[in-house]
Amino acid sequence: MKKLYSLMALVLLASMLLSACGATTPAPAATQAPAPATSAPAATSAPATQPAATQASSGTAPDCTQANVFCVGDVTDVGHVDDKSFNQSTWEGLQKAKADGNADWIQYIETADSKDYAKNIDTFAQAGYKVIVTTGFNLTDPTYAAAKKYPNILFIGVDQFLSKDANHPDWPLPNLVGLVYNEDQSGFLVGALASMMSKSHTIGGVFGTDAVPPVWRYGEGYRAGAAYEDAKNGTKTTVINVYHNDVGFDKTFTDPTWGATTAQSMIDKGADVIFGGGGLTGNGAVDKAAADKVLAIGVDSDQYYTLPEADAYLLTSALKPLTAPVAELIGMAKAGKFPTGGLYFGAAGYAPYHDTASLVPANVDAEMQALLKGLTDGSIKTNVPPVKPAQ
Amino acid sequence: MQSTAEKGFIKRLGQLLEPLLVPFLAIFTAVILGGIIIKVVGGDPIAAYKGLVQGAFGSPQALSETAVWSTPYIFAGLAVALGFKGGLFNIGAEGQLAFGAVAAALIGYALPGWLHTSIPPYIHIPLAVGAGVLAGAIWGGIPGALKAYTGGHEVINTIMMNYIALNITSYLLNGPMRDPNPLNLSARTPEIAVSARIPPIFDIPGMRIHWGFVLALLMAVVVWWLLWKTTLGFEIRTVGANPDAAKYAGINVKWIITLSMALSGALAGLAGAIEVTALNYRHELGFSTGYGFDAIAIALLGKNNPFGIILAAILFGAMRNGSTRMQFLTQIPVDIISVIQALILLFVAADAIIRFIYRIRAHEERVVLTRGWGG
Repeated sequence: MKKLYSLMALVLLASMLLSACGATTPAPAATQAPAPATSAPAATSAPATQPAATQASSGTAPDCTQANVFCVGDVTDVGHVDDKSFNQSTWEGLQKAKADGNADWIQYIETADSKDYAKNIDTFAQAGYKVIVTTGFNLTDPTYAAAKKYPNILFIGVDQFLSKDANHPDWPLPNLVGLVYNEDQSGFLVGALASMMSKSHTIGGVFGTDAVPPVWRYGEGYRAGAAYEDAKNGTKTTVINVYHNDVGFDKTFTDPTWGATTAQSMIDKGADVIFGGGGLTGNGAVDKAAADKVLAIGVDSDQYYTLPEADAYLLTSALKPLTAPVAELIGMAKAGKFPTGGLYFGAAGYAPYHDTASLVPANVDAEMQALLKGLTDGSIKTNVPPVKPAQ
Repeated sequence: MQSTAEKGFIKRLGQLLEPLLVPFLAIFTAVILGGIIIKVVGGDPIAAYKGLVQGAFGSPQALSETAVWSTPYIFAGLAVALGFKGGLFNIGAEGQLAFGAVAAALIGYALPGWLHTSIPPYIHIPLAVGAGVLAGAIWGGIPGALKAYTGGHEVINTIMMNYIALNITSYLLNGPMRDPNPLNLSARTPEIAVSARIPPIFDIPGMRIHWGFVLALLMAVVVWWLLWKTTLGFEIRTVGANPDAAKYAGINVKWIITLSMALSGALAGLAGAIEVTALNYRHELGFSTGYGFDAIAIALLGKNNPFGIILAAILFGAMRNGSTRMQFLTQIPVDIISVIQALILLFVAADAIIRFIYRIRAHEERVVLTRGWGG
C-alpha cells in the first residue's frame, strides 16, 4: 500500500504542476482542482467551463462566425510556415493583410500529412473563417472540393493553376481564385540582365524538369530575355539551358549535386552567368557558380537571404513574389471585389542586386527598369507559351 | 482488516493490470514532460492538451478521423509485433507497406482495363487488397528466408529492403504507373476504379471512417488467435523464445522464421493496401509519413499484444489527428506530438527509468524482443 500512496502523491503532484503551468494565462485555470489521480491529466484537468482556449501567439481569437469579424486562415503544404519558401511567403501575405487592416484575425495550420488537407481546410471553414488561403499546387484538388462544399467562403489557392477539365467540371467557381504567375516574365528579366552582364556572351541555366510548366516558363523566358537584348545590342549570346528531366519528380528539385556538376560543365564551356531554377537542384548550381566566382541568379524568392554563401556573386533572383499578391487578394475579398475568372496573375519581378550592385552599370539598371515596366504594362511580350508545346 | 479473499482479489487484479502499468506511466510521464516543454517554449499546456483531446475525440468527425489515422497504425503495429513474437525485428514495415500500396493501386486502376470489363466490387476489392497483402508478404518473406537459410540479419536486410522498395516505388510512380493526366504534377498513380474502393461506414460527407478500421480490429483478433490458439502460433512463439529448444522439439525453425517474416510483411502490406483502397484511392509518393517506423513504437507500447496494439495505435492516431486542432487553437507546432511520442517510446523501451521513478519492482517476465546478432 505504501507504494500505491507514494504513486498517488506523485500523480497528484504532477497534476498540480500541470495546472500551475496553466496559471499564468488570464483564465481561471489555477483555481481548478487538480485532476483525479487515476485519470490522464490531458483528458480531465482542462476545465470544460474555461472560455475558449487562450492563444499562445497574439491575443484571443475572436468569434469568427460573426458576420463583422473578418478571419483569414492559411493551410500550409506539408511543412512549416517558417520554411523560407512558399509556406513562409504566403503566411507573410496574411500578416501583411492584417497589418493593412484587411483582416481582423489570421491563423495558420501546418499540414503534417497530405491526407489532412481537407480536414485542415474544414477546421477553418467550420470556425467561420471568411477567407481560406491554401499554399502550393498539391492542394489544388482539396481546395477545389472545399470551394464547392463551402460556397460562402472565399478560397485563394497559391500556385494553383486550374482549368475546366474532367476533374474540375465546374471551374471557374465564383469563390475560388488560383494565384499563378507569368514565370516567363521573371525569367525574361534575369535573362536580359545575364545577357547584358556576360562578357563571354555565354550564359547557363540549370533547371528542374520542364514537365512542370512554371519551370519551363522560367527557362524559356530566360532564353527569350537574352535574345531580346541581343537583338537590341547586336550581340550574340549563347544560352545553355539544361533541364533535369532524367530523374523522377521526387528527385528533380532535390538534387544539388547534379545542379553543381551541371553548372560546372557550363562554366567549363565559358558561361559566366548561371541561373539556378529549381529548388535544391538550382541552389546547387548557384552555390557552385559563386564558389567558382561566377555570377549567379537565384529563383522564386530573393535568394540573397536563403543562400548566404553565394551572396558575393548573386546578381539577382527571378522573383515570384507571393506576399504582396496574397495580401492584395485578401484586400479584394474584404472589399467585396474578389476577382472572377478563376485565375489571378501575380506580378513578375527581379530581386535587388545587393552585393553585386557595383558591378551593374547604370545603363543596364535603367534598361532593367524599362523592361520591368514594359512587361508589366504589356508593351513587351516574352512570346513564351504557357506550357511546353507537344513535340 | 482485509479478508484473505479480498487480498486474493486485489492481487489478481494487480496481476491483471501489471502489464498495463509501465505503458500507462510512460504515457503519463511523457505527457507531463511534453507539457513542461510546451510551457518552456511559451505555450499553454492545458489549452494545448485540451485542443488535442477536442481534435481527437471532440466530435463525431474527430472520432472518425482518429479511426482513419489509427487504421494503418493497427495493421503495421500488428506486423511488427508478429515479427517480435517470432524473435524477428522487422524494421522493413515501411517498405512492405509501400509495396502493398503500389500493388493494391495497380490492381485497383489497371485490372478492369486488362480484362476489358468492369469487375463487381466483391471481386475487385479482395483482389486489390489481396495483391497488396501478397506484395507485402513477398517483401517481408525475402529477408525472412535470408535470415533462415543464410543467417543474414533481418535488421540489416529489412533496412536495405526499405530503400529498394522506396526507390522502386519512386520509379514506378514517376514512370510506368504515373497518372497520365497532363495536369498532374505529382508522382502518383491514377485513381483506382470505383469497384475497388472500400466504402466508408457512414454515408455522411466528412465522415471518412471506413470498413478498413473494422477490418483492423478483426485482424487484431485474428493475430491473437493465430499466435496463442494455433499450433503455428505456438511454433512462432517458441522459435522466438528459444530457437535451439524449438529445433530440439522438432519445429522446422527455418521455415517458421521465413513464414513469420512473410506474415509480418503481409500485415504491413495490408496497411498500405487499405490506405489505397479505403482512403486515398491512389498511391502517391510521400503518402506514408513513416507508419512503418511509428509501428515499431506502437508494437513496443502495446507490449506485442494485439489488443494492446489497438490501444497504442488509437493513442498515436488520436495524437496525430488532434494535433491539427491543437495548433489551430494554440499555434503550438505539431512537432510537439512527435516529441511526446518519442518520449513514450523512450520510457517504454527503457522501462527501468519508469520503474525507478515510480518505484515499481520488476518481477514480470522480460519481453524478449529480438535475439542478438547472428542469433
